[in-house]
Amino acid sequence: MKISYNWLKNYVKDLPEAEKLAEVFTFHVCEIEEVDKLPNGDFVFDIKVLPDRAHDLLSHYGVARDIAGILGLSFNEVKYEVPKGEPTKLEIKIETDKCRRYMGRIVRNVTVGPSPEWMKTYLETLGQRSINNLVDATNIVMFDLGNPIHIFDLDKLSGGIIVRNAKDGEVMTTLDNKGVKLTPSDMVISDDKDVLAIAGVKGGKKAEVDNNTKNIVIEVANFDPTSVRKTAKAINIYTDAVKRFENDFSPEVASSAMDEMTALILEICKDAVIQEVVDQYPIKAEKKTLAFNISKISKILGLPISGDEVENILRNFKREYKKSGENFEMKVPDTRPDLCSDEDMAEEIGRVIGYDKIKAEIPTINNSAKSDENFSKIIFTRNKLLADGYSEVMTYAFCDKGEVEVLASASDKKFLRNNLTDGLKESLKLNQLNAPLLEMNEIKIFEIGTVFMKDKEEMHVAYNEKKNIIEKTLEQFCNQFPEKNFGAFALGDIGQGTHDSLNSFPGISSGSKIFVPWSVYPFISRDVAVWMGEGENPEELKKILKKEATHLLIREPYLFDSFTKNGKTSYGFRLVFQSFEKTLTDDEINIIMAKIGHKIKENSRWELR
Amino acid sequence: MDKEIKKGKEHPLSIVINEAVKIFSDLGFEVATGPELEDEWHNFDALNFPKDHPARDMQDTFFIKDKPGFVLRTHTSNTQIHFMEKFTKEGKIPPLAIVVPGKCFRNESTDSGHEMQFHQIECLMVGENISVAHLKGVLFEFFKRFYENENIEIRLRPSFFPFVEPGFEVDLKKGDKWFELLGAGMVHPKVLENCGIDSKKYQGFAFGVGLDRLMMIKYKIPDIRLVYQGDLRLNQF
Repeated sequence: MKISYNWLKNYVKDLPEAEKLAEVFTFHVCEIEEVDKLPNGDFVFDIKVLPDRAHDLLSHYGVARDIAGILGLSFNEVKYEVPKGEPTKLEIKIETDKCRRYMGRIVRNVTVGPSPEWMKTYLETLGQRSINNLVDATNIVMFDLGNPIHIFDLDKLSGGIIVRNAKDGEVMTTLDNKGVKLTPSDMVISDDKDVLAIAGVKGGKKAEVDNNTKNIVIEVANFDPTSVRKTAKAINIYTDAVKRFENDFSPEVASSAMDEMTALILEICKDAVIQEVVDQYPIKAEKKTLAFNISKISKILGLPISGDEVENILRNFKREYKKSGENFEMKVPDTRPDLCSDEDMAEEIGRVIGYDKIKAEIPTINNSAKSDENFSKIIFTRNKLLADGYSEVMTYAFCDKGEVEVLASASDKKFLRNNLTDGLKESLKLNQLNAPLLEMNEIKIFEIGTVFMKDKEEMHVAYNEKKNIIEKTLEQFCNQFPEKNFGAFALGDIGQGTHDSLNSFPGISSGSKIFVPWSVYPFISRDVAVWMGEGENPEELKKILKKEATHLLIREPYLFDSFTKNGKTSYGFRLVFQSFEKTLTDDEINIIMAKIGHKIKENSRWELR
Repeated sequence: MDKEIKKGKEHPLSIVINEAVKIFSDLGFEVATGPELEDEWHNFDALNFPKDHPARDMQDTFFIKDKPGFVLRTHTSNTQIHFMEKFTKEGKIPPLAIVVPGKCFRNESTDSGHEMQFHQIECLMVGENISVAHLKGVLFEFFKRFYENENIEIRLRPSFFPFVEPGFEVDLKKGDKWFELLGAGMVHPKVLENCGIDSKKYQGFAFGVGLDRLMMIKYKIPDIRLVYQGDLRLNQF
């Protein structure tokens, strides 16, 4: 929801500066996705309104009310003086139980034209396009009070207004001339003949306000949240109106929305003549009171809170309450139905005071280190395989064949794996190609993971023996070690793999290791073997290799082989070349290798094999 | 040549899981695990997700073909429910504290920060007086140890998740940067009641952290898609 700073200021005169206000939002109200400073000097806060606050924060009034309450600032309640209006013949019939309230008012003699500048500015600030003065007025009221409003051209109606379920296959033509096919689970506004609008979702072509419109009906209504959401989903139309109704917007707001809308029309169309409001209100909003207890709130927050503090906050929010000792009874505002328990009030009080005021405390709980068998077995199996020289990989649970299929996947791999072997084979291939990079003579890998069968999931382990993959259930693997008790769990068992420093717990240290990315280009590997006499140090050779191999050498020269014969020792080093910029050619490497050969020959006690 | 077998190298995610489990275990949490293919009761209903909550859309959650009412778990929170149900069935009473590491799934398109499969670690602690102060204490202690006593700060911001009240977003400051890291809150009374725990008497906190994210921050790994390729070049640590 986009919120204009200047708009809020109409309600809260002493609003803090934009930067400070952003902090108030973040730490006391909700997340801000973006703040923009506009050329006209206004600021727009794009706030992320979550479902629990969609009843009040999808409106400038609600946001201003909350900010004023949090900061204890005075709030300027705007009252619209609207005359009663002439007697009306407007007929509204509600034929569904999904319409909670429907207010209608006929206004005659309106003039459709451009909006006044102030309205255009506000709408532009919120990223909305100005359409005409009447349509703009409906949007202004929605962004102000939250209640979506619709207007019909009275002269295009055939008869009165009916709120009902659509007939099967009934079609409404939208403003952009598209037909929307409806079913009886969709609620519509119609006249005696046609569908005028899809209730709470979108208006239609038939009674559209155009430049020649003279007389209108204002609709300020409230519809069942589930019904609106289902329809919006079924026809795939999401509007600002849907967002508000689907979150259970209070029907109580309709009266002030009707007042504001009427006052706006009287302001922008000087000759307009209003009629009385027709108010059908079959499903009245419940008036709730909430009892809460401050020691419970203190206990939830872990922060002692006094009755005075709570009273102060409630007064700042202009809430009506009664207090007796630690117990409060508060009238729940219509736009805050989310307040219904001690926990909700803990949040309400806690967020105002500020969660930073709560001191971190470590709970004392008498639990010795315990684990379920499954996790103990995973740890044991991993440590065992690591100790046997296997390295761990993780692969995808999704694949293109299996026994269990997922629905509507965004990927082409729609099945869950029923074995680890297939994934491990691929991994083996990949890693064998990279063997010189990995400084491994032989690739030994394993994976521990869940596989999915038609009627069960199972934890498996798989590892390779040369080219063959061996796969077992975790059970089977662990059963090979009957002496091991998996019920007992020792902290020391965790992380006995390669990560030795873990055992110096606490203050676990893995050093300041930082990921080194790899090149996407192929590497070239070459071996160099040299006979050296007794007492010669292969490190000398390594130094020369490092120097001559240039920056294209991506690893330390790796001693892969050494043996002694007739008093001489042969040292075999593997050199791996790779560029981050391009595919290296053999020619480039041959030049480097020739230089290395030359350097080695300079030492008369060395002999290139 | 050296005949001794050289130890293999652990996947970095396992290193991170182990470190996290070890810290929480030391703080008194018991390790629990749960199923990855889950029924809607444990993944959603018992956690106070309304029937028409957007998270229950097929666009976000993997539903299972020919198995209505089952999903790939979208969080490790399902294990909260399994654990507490069993706990009360066995006639036990709080305090209880569990840490749950495990794989989760979301039906979303992948990019450098999102994968269809990822790992989460979840903590749940319930007792008579377990409060937001304790939540802050445990989280702070965890991050302090996990990031090796580096100067860290945490902060709570108001947020909303159906299974907690109050609900928070927790940010971590590491170096001079704030990371938006996890969702947390006080266990919703309905969740406790759904598992047979008296919510008038007991209260507690829960939070879930993405392990892939922790790993990526710890080792500065730029792309989550490197994690599940079966590529040993990732095992650098």
